[in-house]
Amino acid sequence: MILVIGGSYQGKTEYARQEFPNAKYFNQLHLFVKKRLVEGKKGNEILDEIREAVRGDEWVVISDEIGNGIVPMEEDDRTWREVCGRIMIELAKDATEVHRVVCGIGQRIK
Amino acid sequence: MITLIYGGSSSGKSAYAEDIVCNSQYKNRYYLATMKANDSESVERIARHRSLREGKEFITLEQPVDIANTINQDSDGIILLECMSNLVANEMFRDGQIKSEKSIVDKVLKDIKELESKVSSLVIVTNDIFEDGISYDDTTKEYLRALGKINAEIAKMAARSVEVVVGIGVER
Repeated sequence: MILVIGGSYQGKTEYARQEFPNAKYFNQLHLFVKKRLVEGKKGNEILDEIREAVRGDEWVVISDEIGNGIVPMEEDDRTWREVCGRIMIELAKDATEVHRVVCGIGQRIK
Repeated sequence: MITLIYGGSSSGKSAYAEDIVCNSQYKNRYYLATMKANDSESVERIARHRSLREGKEFITLEQPVDIANTINQDSDGIILLECMSNLVANEMFRDGQIKSEKSIVDKVLKDIKELESKVSSLVIVTNDIFEDGISYDDTTKEYLRALGKINAEIAKMAARSVEVVVGIGVER
């Protein structure tokens, strides 16, 4: 599995399609995490589900980095960014490559 | 010698900083905690960080302000200061008053220099809280400016600055 991360609107998807044209995509992971949290799932359950989904074939997982701001007012938003951050750290450990995209420019960091 | 560790919330920066300290050769490891336990979330956060440090032989020092006073000279000591964003908030809003950006920047940098002079190595964890694009109220802006300036000044003093992204260190 290859992980592609970066802020919103940085050209992550376009970068991934250029670099890994034959991969399968799990895009907008951060929104998937939010959806599952709203459904009442815990962080480790969500991580297990993602790991199960991206097993086997060559997968590219794409996610926004959402932790680089002021602590949000709402508890759900704080939980979301924390769970999302922890899941991304675990996925980065699993990943064979991690790329970070800023202004459309990708940097391989693992 | 200063090492600066920068990263967003839940980016793995603490674990990364702890690894640096635990892989160093210094005899005494100090953990300088700046967060105040004033609600259930901060209590939980502190508990999580404590469990991360368990078995790593840290001497924990809790000092929400005036960090230079924390320890005496220790030529075989390394301090992990966590974290700058809490320290700056504590200094800025202490005694029920709001201090100016400039006075906070001067005070915190002076304290850091003094603290650095007391030990062999100082590892500072700080936060990236600058990228949510939201325009905050004047006080929050003042706080953001102070922290941004302090981060930049520490990076100038530091022998090494690392941004932690999804648990991975990117040298800056």
